[in-house]
Amino acid sequence: MRVIVVGGGRVGLETAATLDEQGHSVVVVERDPDRCAAIGSEYVATVIEGDGTDPAILSQADLDRADVVAALTGDQSTNLAVCLLADRLADVRTLLRVTGAAGAEAFEDVVDEVVYPERVGAMAAVNGIATEAVRALEEVTGALAVLEIEVAADAPVAGRTLADVSLPHGTLVVSDATGDRVADTDTELTPGETYLVAAESDVTEEVRQLFRG
Amino acid sequence: MVGMGAMIGAGIFVLTGLAADAAGPAAVLVFALNGAVTAFTALSYAELAAAIPESGGGYAYVKEVFSEATSFLMGWMLWFAYMIAGALYAVGFGSNFATFLGMVGIDVPESVSVVGVTVPVGATALALLVVVVFVALNALSTSASGGAETAVTLVKIAILVVFAAFGAFAVETSNFSPLFEGSALSLLPAMGLTFIAFEGYDLIATVTEEVKDPEETIPKAIFYSLAATVAIYIGVVAVAVGTVGADQLGRAGETAIASAAASFMPTIPGLGIGGGTLIAFGAVFSTMSALNAVVLASSRVAFAMGRQGQLPGGVERIHPEFGTPLRAVLVSAAVVLVAVVAVPIRQIGNLSSLFFLLSFVVVNGSVIRLRRRRPNLSRPYELPFYPIPPVLGIVLNLLLGLFIDPIIWGMGVAWLALGGGVYLLLARGD
Repeated sequence: MRVIVVGGGRVGLETAATLDEQGHSVVVVERDPDRCAAIGSEYVATVIEGDGTDPAILSQADLDRADVVAALTGDQSTNLAVCLLADRLADVRTLLRVTGAAGAEAFEDVVDEVVYPERVGAMAAVNGIATEAVRALEEVTGALAVLEIEVAADAPVAGRTLADVSLPHGTLVVSDATGDRVADTDTELTPGETYLVAAESDVTEEVRQLFRG
Repeated sequence: MVGMGAMIGAGIFVLTGLAADAAGPAAVLVFALNGAVTAFTALSYAELAAAIPESGGGYAYVKEVFSEATSFLMGWMLWFAYMIAGALYAVGFGSNFATFLGMVGIDVPESVSVVGVTVPVGATALALLVVVVFVALNALSTSASGGAETAVTLVKIAILVVFAAFGAFAVETSNFSPLFEGSALSLLPAMGLTFIAFEGYDLIATVTEEVKDPEETIPKAIFYSLAATVAIYIGVVAVAVGTVGADQLGRAGETAIASAAASFMPTIPGLGIGGGTLIAFGAVFSTMSALNAVVLASSRVAFAMGRQGQLPGGVERIHPEFGTPLRAVLVSAAVVLVAVVAVPIRQIGNLSSLFFLLSFVVVNGSVIRLRRRRPNLSRPYELPFYPIPPVLGIVLNLLLGLFIDPIIWGMGVAWLALGGGVYLLLARGD
């Protein structure tokens, strides 16, 4: 895949490095010359120095051959301009970085993908802070949460098979205790073991009570 | 080190005899001038490699800069040039190994006559064998090839330095006069012939992946290996010509260095074998590691092309068990084997040189085009005095190309035409 990342700050560079690791071809567009030199030293992407909202600059990133344009600067308006420009100039998927949760959904009609990196970062921080045995794995778009839950010894579901317990509607136990197999009705919820559970947001609290007591 | 590994050693062992045959004592100048010509292309490679973090060498850069069709032809040329270089090294290995065995007392039947045609059975068989061995290594494991490269290169350099150091005392200056056989223009065909000895830039660029601070390390890697290669080449060729004379070198062909060494190297104390045997061993060793490098490079180019949908037959597939682009390796190997048997060594060298010359022209062109079309591209290394070096690179490479035999051009054009056909068929398939 060929990806154009506009904005070579922390988010942009990390994205470029990860894409490069996965074998994708990346072009970074960045305004600041010093930042360009720093990205060049990482040797993960071709770098175009200039303003990504300038058509003359963006087309130097070889827009026609790109599959995705990811607008990842720290400025939401700039990102939106980049996405709209890219959409106008070529047939590419566009990804918009927003800087606040409020009103973010409205952009989903305008661009192909909306990301809010601060939110994902906050989730990771909360996971690091939380010592309890429930961890959200990653924020998934929509209302679904994927949790890693350890079954407490005195929990309502402890020691029972999935056939015997009645989990709230909108819950799915994904894997068994060993993590090797997908759970089925015979899977036993052993105390002290950890399970991967997908739950819709309105039932996560109920699931937590069932597994943790 | 990989690029230098491929440049140093095999090229000099295999090509010295051919250069001496074509240019006489001026063979020394041939290598020096080729070094000067490639220096311009080296600058272009440095600029591109520092700016475009893609492995795959010249093909990868051209793919960034030019149209689909151009990048296809570039890949098609480079792929073939590497395979043909592989054949050259395999043949060089075969004859040097036969010589080496002869020196330690094992005789390989040099040739048999089949219906009046003399076929060098022993050496050719050895050449085919070594191709099979290294293809198997490259096919079965990705790590078999890379790890020992630095050590191997150092050993090769050490052997060549020993050769030049001992030989320097045995040089007779009379061997250098007259310097030119015929006119000075006779240098040009010899330069074209031995150009293949400088293929290493593309290899350096082919394997630059895990690089930090490319603005420093890549130009350094390219320029140092050029300087070291040219210095060693000149020293070795000067000693070889100075000790046994160009005529005898020319007759010895791809075993020229080993036979020159036999004339002056002292017997190694304790081992009871001549120092010439050590040099012959160096030749065997060098051709082997160079063969390994080009088998790797040719399969990488084929693999990269397959990924872009520019080669058919699933060459882009990584074999699930071995983790290598098995099909790409096997296809490359098949061509190498055919070339070893079917094409004479001089033609092999010429054809490969022609394609490297042409691909270097395209690489220089890429620098110019990229500067024009993407002025804002951040270039961690910018070549000095733009646009003079790339323009000179193009002109000089084309000039050398003009002195390559029309028959070779014919073969080259035929291969390109075949490539054009493949390209059109694939395009229609889409």
